[in-house]
Amino acid sequence: MARDPEKLLYAESHEWCDVAEEGGEKIATIGISAFAIQQLNDLVYMDLPEVGKAVTAGEEFGEVESVKAVSPLYSPVTGEVVEVHSELPDSLDKLNEDPYDFGWVMKVKISDDSNLSSLMDAAAYKKQCAESG
Amino acid sequence: MQARLIELAAGGPAENMAIDQALLESVDRDAVPTLRFYTWSEPTVSLGYFQKASDRLAHSPSENCAFVRRATGGGAIVHHNELTYSLGWPLEYVPAGAKSELYQQTHQAIIESLGRFGVSATRYADLGPQAVQSVTSNEKRCDPFLCFQRRTDEDLVVAGYKVVGSAQRTSRKAVLQHGSILLDVSPHAPELPGVVNLTPQSITVQELAEVLTMTIEHVFGMKFDVFSIDEEFNRRAKQIRLTRFGQSEWNEKR
Repeated sequence: MARDPEKLLYAESHEWCDVAEEGGEKIATIGISAFAIQQLNDLVYMDLPEVGKAVTAGEEFGEVESVKAVSPLYSPVTGEVVEVHSELPDSLDKLNEDPYDFGWVMKVKISDDSNLSSLMDAAAYKKQCAESG
Repeated sequence: MQARLIELAAGGPAENMAIDQALLESVDRDAVPTLRFYTWSEPTVSLGYFQKASDRLAHSPSENCAFVRRATGGGAIVHHNELTYSLGWPLEYVPAGAKSELYQQTHQAIIESLGRFGVSATRYADLGPQAVQSVTSNEKRCDPFLCFQRRTDEDLVVAGYKVVGSAQRTSRKAVLQHGSILLDVSPHAPELPGVVNLTPQSITVQELAEVLTMTIEHVFGMKFDVFSIDEEFNRRAKQIRLTRFGQSEWNEKR
């Protein structure tokens, strides 16, 4: 079923986050928003984290390159990486077309959900995008 | 606007990249634009952040050069007979991706600087594709190994050859842009002529650094104060050199 961008949470740094309960654990699926992908323009490389790596909300978990610029990606949640979308770095052209389903980057088992309340809903995120032009 | 200038000096491969990273961190923290000029104490190949170390095997003239992996994107550069600059620019908020205006404004200053020496440089985007030499591929990941055989819109071209290319790295509140102005052909990259090989002009790195400082002040509307690298900056640069750019884990990470 297609993921609805209106129902996702968003970080200020433009990552989206879809939190679901799986087997008693909170699992966050994380990707890059359509707005950010459009801004990135001509993405050529992406580095993913390794499965098992601990990530912290607001800290770097990967990197991308576009137009000779390398930029970090920041995790919206704290926890352990349980799955990464390993096909994605070789299919970056598909990100533009489908940022919320094919474009998922990693899944994180949340260990501390205290920062989830600081993420934005779709309306607040759209406002941020409009203000940043 | 006040800004800092780190004056022209030569450095080793890991040292140069570590100072640039420390520069980015200091601009991220202090929000003061910082310009630096440097050369390389030995001919050095710098790889773009995502390039494979094994790709060096495809370019035999530079195989015996020192090498370092940059934190910025793009292709490999043979640093020899060139002026290298870096510019750290503070931003209130840095979304991921390239800062096109920074490429454009810095390169505009370089165009004006070269113009003062009688050299006419042009943005690649302003040229017809047929006017440029040695483009072998425009495919994304099939780009040539050497940056100066690749082309992006903001590259600067003299007499059909690319002589200026730049790359960036973003942090939370700053962007580092560094780039090379190729002045003379190197035996380690004989296919790439420099400015003095393409025009009758003679330009030294010192002269170009002085003029470029003035044109960057003009284009960006700021005034530089000379910044002597202090103990804190030095300590951080040394730490970055020892833990990152001087380590094979970094340089051969792909």
